[in-house]
Amino acid sequence: MLTDPPFGPLSRDPLLLNRRQLLGRMCAGFGMMGLAGVLSSQAQAAQSVTATGPHFAPKAKRVVFLFLNGGPSHLDTFDPKPALTKYAGQQPTGELYKKTKGSGFMPSPYAFSRQGRSGIEVCETLPHLAKVIDDCCIIRSMHTDVPNHEPALLQMHTGNQQPIRPSFGSWLLYGLGSENQNLPGYIVLRPSPKIVVGPALWSNSFLPAAYQAASVQTSDMAVDKLLANIRSPRLKGNEQREQLDLLAALNRRHLAQREGDAELDGQIRAMETAFNMQSEAMETFDISREPEPVRAAYGDTPFARSCLLARRLLEGGVRVVTVYYTSSDNQPWDTHTDHNKRHQNLCADGDRAAAALISDLKERGMLDDTLVIWGGEFGRTPYAENRDATKAGRDHHHTAFSTLLAGGGVKGGLAFGNSDELGMNAVENPVHVHDLHATILHLMGLDHKKLTYRYAGRDFRLTDVYGDVVRDILV
Amino acid sequence: MAVRLPLTIAAALLAAAGAARAAEDPLAAFERDVRPLLKAQCFECHGGGKQRGGFRLDRKSGLLAGGDSEMPGIIEGKSAESHIIKRITSKDPEERMPLKKDALSAEQVNILKRWIDNGAHWPEEVEQPTEPAPASPKLVTAEDRTFWSFQPPQRSECKVESAWPRQPLDAFVFAKLREHRLEPSPEAPRAVLLRRVAFDLTGLPPSPAELDAFLEDSAKDAYEKAVDRLLASPRFGEHLASLWLPLARFAEDQAHQVGSDTKFFYPNAHLYRAWIIEAFNRDVPYDRFLKLQLAADRLPDVPPSDMAALGFLGLGPKYYNRNRLEVMADEWEDRVDTVSRTMLGLTVACARCHDHKFDPITTRDYYALAGIFASTRMMNRRPDGRPEKEGTMADKMDPGTVHVVKDGEVQNLNLFIRGNVERKGPLVPRRFLEVLSPGEPAVFKEGSGRRELADAIASRNNPLTARVFVNRVWAMMFGRPLVSSLSNFGHSGTAPSHPRLLDDLAVRFMEDGWSVKRLVRSMALSSTYRQTSIASAPQRQADPDNTLFSRMNRRRLTVEQWRDSALLLSGELVEARGGKSEEPDNPVSRHRTVYARISRLQLNDLLMQFDYPDANVHAEKRSVTTTPMQKLFALNSAFMQSRATALATRLQRLGETDADCITASYRLLFSREPEAEEIALAQEFLKKPAESAMSRWERYAQILLASNELLYVD
Repeated sequence: MLTDPPFGPLSRDPLLLNRRQLLGRMCAGFGMMGLAGVLSSQAQAAQSVTATGPHFAPKAKRVVFLFLNGGPSHLDTFDPKPALTKYAGQQPTGELYKKTKGSGFMPSPYAFSRQGRSGIEVCETLPHLAKVIDDCCIIRSMHTDVPNHEPALLQMHTGNQQPIRPSFGSWLLYGLGSENQNLPGYIVLRPSPKIVVGPALWSNSFLPAAYQAASVQTSDMAVDKLLANIRSPRLKGNEQREQLDLLAALNRRHLAQREGDAELDGQIRAMETAFNMQSEAMETFDISREPEPVRAAYGDTPFARSCLLARRLLEGGVRVVTVYYTSSDNQPWDTHTDHNKRHQNLCADGDRAAAALISDLKERGMLDDTLVIWGGEFGRTPYAENRDATKAGRDHHHTAFSTLLAGGGVKGGLAFGNSDELGMNAVENPVHVHDLHATILHLMGLDHKKLTYRYAGRDFRLTDVYGDVVRDILV
Repeated sequence: MAVRLPLTIAAALLAAAGAARAAEDPLAAFERDVRPLLKAQCFECHGGGKQRGGFRLDRKSGLLAGGDSEMPGIIEGKSAESHIIKRITSKDPEERMPLKKDALSAEQVNILKRWIDNGAHWPEEVEQPTEPAPASPKLVTAEDRTFWSFQPPQRSECKVESAWPRQPLDAFVFAKLREHRLEPSPEAPRAVLLRRVAFDLTGLPPSPAELDAFLEDSAKDAYEKAVDRLLASPRFGEHLASLWLPLARFAEDQAHQVGSDTKFFYPNAHLYRAWIIEAFNRDVPYDRFLKLQLAADRLPDVPPSDMAALGFLGLGPKYYNRNRLEVMADEWEDRVDTVSRTMLGLTVACARCHDHKFDPITTRDYYALAGIFASTRMMNRRPDGRPEKEGTMADKMDPGTVHVVKDGEVQNLNLFIRGNVERKGPLVPRRFLEVLSPGEPAVFKEGSGRRELADAIASRNNPLTARVFVNRVWAMMFGRPLVSSLSNFGHSGTAPSHPRLLDDLAVRFMEDGWSVKRLVRSMALSSTYRQTSIASAPQRQADPDNTLFSRMNRRRLTVEQWRDSALLLSGELVEARGGKSEEPDNPVSRHRTVYARISRLQLNDLLMQFDYPDANVHAEKRSVTTTPMQKLFALNSAFMQSRATALATRLQRLGETDADCITASYRLLFSREPEAEEIALAQEFLKKPAESAMSRWERYAQILLASNELLYVD
């Protein structure tokens, strides 16, 4: 229980209250902190208390990242490249990260057509997203530093290639706190236990533990399977209530003899919150309460069910949700072989659920202040990775790829930036991962240059010393 | 190191060997035949970019040093014994180099053999800077050296007119209180004091028998005896290890796992943990404790049992795609960061890309230290001293293998401009930090330089080492440190609340032979420590955060203390020491939490929820959060349900009547007698019908385990 100097811009409160007084005040405003977050006994509490508001008026209050593990192909989704047909079979030239031994440029076998009033070209693999394209912004000029899963995944989640930095979700909680006292502020949904890299992707790292994510495995959607310890294995609700009444009585006696110590009071409140959470979380996490037509619209796959759960969580006041697209394969979008067929199957699932989520949020009036992101850690090569044409795959590609954004203050019906004629490099308005991060923070009302945390002798940022807000895509 | 033969001697040797082409300049022959061959066949995997198997042969020092297998690549003059010749001529396709390519032709093999037999001539070369040094390199000025923490700590006499001080430290605390017109608090009741000191010295509460013995002991030195008994308990080392291990970012695996590959995991990391525990229990002097962890392999007369100490470095993170220069540069940063923050309280890693913004630490300082770790290699050392075969998976390693380091190819690093490995600045010799060296820092000469680094850190002349450690121990004992930025004693850290006290403690600690036990003892016996934690109204007003130590701080137990207490109180704790780690939330796991498995990949949920820090980086302290998730664990987890059941059985055996059992419960759990109303509340609860799948006593036991009184120390 060590006392910190005040850290970060959000805590430069000259009113350095005594921490126990502070906690006393905080408990009243407990609701702004998350379940994972919540009450702490020291400077981080001060931070959270002062993190009542963002740096400026936010467009988005919450964010959901639909993450397609393995790297979806921009060439078979949102970035039409007719020139690939012309150059099919020719070998790529110029600076390549890795020499290729494949059969040369490989056009998408799928057709693109203009969709919506905006007329954005969308691949036929994404018929559902095509219908909501006027709500979406497609960035066709994304790029990242390395075409390897591990560092690229870490970069997309933490801005850094080594597993030693906080994730964007933890940064958002640190900046904004949580909206619901009975649910975690940052929830990670993953259909399979294994994900490449794993928990470092949603780590709070050196940010206080209050900003950690709650990771939930969604292979079995029964609520007590989703949430550890959410239900007493042996006591009914009223029996546990009786038990907690005695505990509260003993704790209050203990407190009374200790000058009303606010930290002890916080413990008592946390116990009550835990009790209430059991019923609230049981309800929020239960997608079987959704009407059948809604469930049907999302589809009945692990990813689709997780997307539906994500909507319920966002509705319940969760600030950040990440849904990972994994299966028995821990990075299904990594289509090194048999790309055309596999990628199409993945799109069918990813397309339907993502479009359903966007429509569902819109119908509920939530899309305006919910930012939806759909994409992976990088794209895929415009050329084939191997020689066998029947099994042809696409390799990792980091110098150009596409990411979809929707809602949350982003212009709909916009295709932004461009890759070159062959989809090799982002050439027009390139958007680096750092720029995407800066933009996400901006939409949430945070200045990425001001959201800093003092650690190990210096101020850290999600965007390190990089990043520019992509202003052209803002409403 | 290779002795470079003057050309004349080399020529004579060639003549002696009867070489027909002795007249040719061997260096010209090297450039014409050998270098192009190595470049074409080998550099892709063993060059400046990648160094597979830790082996590079784009320079002679790399060839001589060999790779992770520890075998030199060449032995000058002896091609038949040279490892690279064996590898390029091997019949085994898994062994034969270059892997997955055509074998070298007989003529190519002969070129290399001839070259080795002729003395393996290689021109002297120094990696040329690609960019000039910064125009005006930052220099450490005399003024820089005047900063408080770079000045040697001083003993000082503090005389106060009071009988209150028992230990030298008390006088400093007392004087400061007087400055603020405050009085110290009264002494805590004896039972409270015993519970407090037992938790602080061993991480566990006292037993009712120990409590009784202490309360009945009317001798003047009863408390001293209790403290000495606790210090002598093997539980002391287990508790102190919980302080040390997060500093050393101790863990047993890596944040990255590719597929099911475990070759970078540390299945025997527990041997380092056991060494730390044992070192605290044996009261190994702290300077020696540090030296062994940095350089046990480079010190004279170190028994093999102390080699595990090198786990401090040897259990460090290995990053994805290691052996690429830019990834190794990240690993070196981890070593510099962990060593400098843990031992020196300095954030040297800030100077990787630019001179430190706040402290007189330059990029030259950074690369001088990084060079030491660039010259050091990670090693899985089998009990016979040999390395595990390259690529051995964790479950195939010998149970006695320790994860340590050894010297590798010794190299100085070029300063990387703005941290970019492709922008090489001037070469920086390995040496210690300039601001902590009396004059120009001496260049390190012994191998990697780790021993010289250890000597510079674990030195009475180092102004930081002792200060940083006594501050950590102070924080452990008193619940708040004197310098609140525990691992940052630089300009961007915080100034000490009691500078003279900190200095005096540091000097006494060194003069007392760096004895950690005597340091802890001096704090435990102090009047400052014995104060009550109940604050009076004037104290709350004048010293709300207790920065003056006008009373004791009330503290929440760490996850180790809390979980260990639950096991001890339920009568289930198994105090076997050492051995493999366990998942701490497994209901059948009965060992102390210090023996929990610590993962970089996926930290156990229980540990994470209760604020155990991320094991990927040095953690100077723990945050203290209070969350409903913690409460759900206390109420509903299989682990705590099991403890409640066992505790209920035990409590019911402690007396004839419910009232007797309740009284005994309070003595066991809280080291005190219950009040009448507490007995009444419990009796009322217990006599109601069971109604549920849990007995009334189980439910009561669960309440006690989940209570604030158990979770806090007064």
